[in-house]
Amino acid sequence: MTSEQPDRPFPGNKVFPAEVERFDLHLRIQHVIMLTTFLLLFFTGWALKFSAVETSHAWIRIWGGPKAAGMIHRVAGITMLLDGLYHLLYLAVRFFQGKLRFDLVPVWKDVVDFFQNLRYFLGLSPKRPRFGRFNYLQKFDYWAVFWGIFIIGSSGLALVFPTKAALLFPAWTTDWIWELIYIMHSDEAFLAIVFILFWHFYNEHLRPDVFPMSWVWITGKLSIEELRERHPLEFERLFPEVVPGGGGEGKKQE
Amino acid sequence: MVHGKGVLSSLLWIGFLLFFAPEVFGDNLSCLICHGALKGTYMTRAGLSVSLHVDAKKFAASVHGDLECTFCHLNYIDNPHRDPEEGIPEGIVETGRAIAGKSRIDPVALAACTQCHGEIFEEVKKSVHGANIFVKKESDGAFCLDCHGNAHEIVPAKGIPGGGGEKASPVSYERIVATCGRCHEKKSVSLKYGFSTRIIERYNESFHGKKYHLGGKNLPVCTTCHGSHGIRSHQDPKAMVFGMNKVKLCGQCHKGANEKFVAAITHKPVGRDNPIPYYAEKGLIVLTFCVITGCALHIILEGFASILWVLRTRRRCRDDVRTTGSSLPGQ
Repeated sequence: MTSEQPDRPFPGNKVFPAEVERFDLHLRIQHVIMLTTFLLLFFTGWALKFSAVETSHAWIRIWGGPKAAGMIHRVAGITMLLDGLYHLLYLAVRFFQGKLRFDLVPVWKDVVDFFQNLRYFLGLSPKRPRFGRFNYLQKFDYWAVFWGIFIIGSSGLALVFPTKAALLFPAWTTDWIWELIYIMHSDEAFLAIVFILFWHFYNEHLRPDVFPMSWVWITGKLSIEELRERHPLEFERLFPEVVPGGGGEGKKQE
Repeated sequence: MVHGKGVLSSLLWIGFLLFFAPEVFGDNLSCLICHGALKGTYMTRAGLSVSLHVDAKKFAASVHGDLECTFCHLNYIDNPHRDPEEGIPEGIVETGRAIAGKSRIDPVALAACTQCHGEIFEEVKKSVHGANIFVKKESDGAFCLDCHGNAHEIVPAKGIPGGGGEKASPVSYERIVATCGRCHEKKSVSLKYGFSTRIIERYNESFHGKKYHLGGKNLPVCTTCHGSHGIRSHQDPKAMVFGMNKVKLCGQCHKGANEKFVAAITHKPVGRDNPIPYYAEKGLIVLTFCVITGCALHIILEGFASILWVLRTRRRCRDDVRTTGSSLPGQ
């Protein structure tokens, strides 16, 4: 079915770059801040959520006791919120420069891709869905963080500054708002941690083709082979001259 | 009558006491010779099973270690013990009768606490615990020993000065929550007086309680907000935690606390009567479950597909070897 030679993997005469930039320096910095603060919040917050468990006491001592751990948690939380603001600012600047592409926004194709992927997984179809710059897995990952920061961040701020937050709450909410905030913060954080452990760790670390991890978060670059393999539509968008023959589809049909 | 065994050990103990005790125990020696050795439980005339043992060492180390036995045990100034309530101050006899339900052995000795701790006793009498004993004549309102522990082993709440042992007292910061919980987590008591069995659980789930259980210092424990000897029901307008009295109470730590802020701590379980947080929590549990299941299924299916891919490639590889002599799969 495939006739390319191993030393010339791509058809056409164009000289391809070895890799394409996927995350620029800003995004990489944002990601590093995100992962550092996320882990700190996870480590200090987990023991607080499960404070009734005996080992939590010892674990919190490692972080300098409940007072120090609480301070680490607050500082990390606020840093993460600032990181979120940095990201929004970055998006705004890109938007006004006319460089912002809205290809992270979920579209109907993601639903189609999802079901096509399921069919492929179950052996019902030989074709994998052909993804664009971001596939539905990555969009899910991105928007989960976005939603998580909004929910956990806003409730966290109310918990750090409860007397200030009380000034903002309408009087008719006081019977339930505090319980709601606590649940939002605690349970949503639990969900975020579980989600990261399952989804992000599998997709970016444990998958056989990226193990031990995808290096994009450090280099910001994705090799041209990976791009064609995993984001064929983006590959074709960047190098339209190779498209007519059906582009990088050959390997998918294996 | 005596269930305790070990006559030999008792004799040895008596011998030991006779040898070393005089300097240590002073005038209490004659009591402790027997009561130090009386182990096990004894049946009273009323048919109650009681312990008459006094740990001499612990007694000597306690705050009351300098007192003579008969300072409190006013009935028992000679041996064999004479009849109760003879030549004892009237007030103590009266108190003793009122609190008879609180002491299986010697209500007079329990009433004798008031000899020195009269002011605290007046506070207790007015408290919700005290009213339960003196007004409602119940036996399960907390009295001195219910919180402070064994009468002969009472230590200061802040620990023994210079001797560490911060947790020695049941009313110490470290143990007070568990001590209150001994009654306030009990189903029978809660049902009888109509309070929630989950008060302590809800405290433990609050941010105060969580930090407390992680070893935090200077956090509010039960007595910080509810008071100790003069504790009042939260429905009592004079209680520190009644309605908007909380603004002042919470404001001691949380500067700028207002009436919307103080609604945060109620110790009420989140039930259907509070639908927003109740269903928010249920919703988040369902969401978490769905996300975990969905992610896990997706991952498992992907693994399954990879295995299928390998198997198919291998088969094609075998076919290729047969037809072309090349073992490279596909390309």
